[in-house]
Amino acid sequence: MSKGKIAIIGIGEVPTRNMPERTQWDIIYDTCMEAVKDSGLHKNDIEGVVSATPQAQPKIAAELSFGKLPEELGLKGCKDTVSCNAGGASTSNCLRMAEQWIESGIAKAVIVQHVTLHSTISLVDQINFFAKAGIDLQWEYPFGPTYNIIMGLMANRFMHDNGTTPLEMASVVTALRSWASRDPNSILYGKEVPSPEKVLASDLLNTPLHKRESNILGDGGCAMVVVSAEDAKKMKRPAAYKLGESVRYFSGTCVMRDFDKVFEGFTVTAKEAMAQAGITKKDVSLWNCYLAYPLGHPMMAEMLEVAPKGEGGKYFLEGRMSFGGDIPWSTIGDAPGRGHTGSGVSAATYVETARQLMGKAGERQVKNCKYVFQNTAGGSGFNQISSIWGKEIK
Amino acid sequence: MTKPIPETQPWSEKFWEGTKQGKLFIQVCKDCKSKIFYPRKFCPECWSGNLDWIEASGKAKIFTFSTAYSMVEPKFMDELPYTIAYVDLEEGIRMMTRIVDCKPEDISFDMDVEVLFHERNGYFLPYFRPVSKK
Repeated sequence: MSKGKIAIIGIGEVPTRNMPERTQWDIIYDTCMEAVKDSGLHKNDIEGVVSATPQAQPKIAAELSFGKLPEELGLKGCKDTVSCNAGGASTSNCLRMAEQWIESGIAKAVIVQHVTLHSTISLVDQINFFAKAGIDLQWEYPFGPTYNIIMGLMANRFMHDNGTTPLEMASVVTALRSWASRDPNSILYGKEVPSPEKVLASDLLNTPLHKRESNILGDGGCAMVVVSAEDAKKMKRPAAYKLGESVRYFSGTCVMRDFDKVFEGFTVTAKEAMAQAGITKKDVSLWNCYLAYPLGHPMMAEMLEVAPKGEGGKYFLEGRMSFGGDIPWSTIGDAPGRGHTGSGVSAATYVETARQLMGKAGERQVKNCKYVFQNTAGGSGFNQISSIWGKEIK
Repeated sequence: MTKPIPETQPWSEKFWEGTKQGKLFIQVCKDCKSKIFYPRKFCPECWSGNLDWIEASGKAKIFTFSTAYSMVEPKFMDELPYTIAYVDLEEGIRMMTRIVDCKPEDISFDMDVEVLFHERNGYFLPYFRPVSKK
């Protein structure tokens, strides 16, 4: 919750694909080594390693939690390692841990990494995991909800209250996929961008969610090297500085989530993060939003006051958030565009935030990218973490 | 395929005992008078352990709903299509439930519904149906 204490100075990522032929460790080598190389540091400069715990993969989760990564990669200067999980908000907490270690002097440079191999998990185990994670086993699970249905419940009420149309909702997929089709790290890289009409023509899974509005599970991994803002400045390399962060907890059980409190939480945390960074929404170059489902994006646009109330869906349908539009938004295409890698979509979003601020986003590079809003949310939406990252620090 | 039953806690057993008798119980705090859902060991408002139960009217309004047509757990596939809803009880409690005894296309926001109990392996899940359907 502090301004300008840390910066990301190195990033590494493997494209999100189905890669059952690879092991998690195979991916960890690639992402961590690439991030260290990108930072300009030596492997032995890394003094801390923080992993997002891949909850659905117990074996690698145990290996990471019990300290194998620094040994495996030969990080001779490493003083400590830990893993943590808060669902989709895991990476925010990994970065907070890195921040605490750096501020307290435990470590000068920290790797934050994530890896997921969904394709090596049996279909039965995947179904079992996603049917129960974030859903209360006494008061919800016996009725037969799914993540898709939980999102449908929120989206249906939002559409009812706001007058947002199915076509507007479907246009979010078009917007997200317009970015993803230009992202070499996306599972949908180079693929056709479906029109809103085509999205709506796909099978209805549960109201109001269509097949093309849900996610494709994928394998992926990424890593970041984090140092103090002061050290990053001295290194004179492209960096992403953390300038502000704010958070609100809502509820652990889906049905206990007060929709008004959630909407207010989105608005308030964004304002608090911007205030810490000393900026206003007009200064934000990129709204790098993470929601895991397209249906939440119009709501997010309205809560962030990027679109007026009742017009979030209209903005997407008009193409304003698409590639080439006037409001750069979720430039990896969020989970529907990137491919869903569990807690990894939020990690990939942070890497994209850094990539954009470092000027390394290629075709998707946002012009004069100076400040990025980035959010994460955990589980089925138990919290909202808003943060502001900048290209430089004064 | 076995369908799930509620994973109960000692302090929620009274709720499930009530459903066996066709009663929808709500936990209340005798000290701060809060109505509590879901049932807790201590009052979430004032941490009092002085808790009791009242019987709810069973009347509610649909806050939101989503009808599932596919992509649910295999154990629920035989029940498709089915509608999951959040309903607001007259007593100010919101619950997740199923809406039954009507076509999915007839379900609407703020619709008046009433409780009925659906038996599953010795547990009686509180489902809701439109009030006009007796």
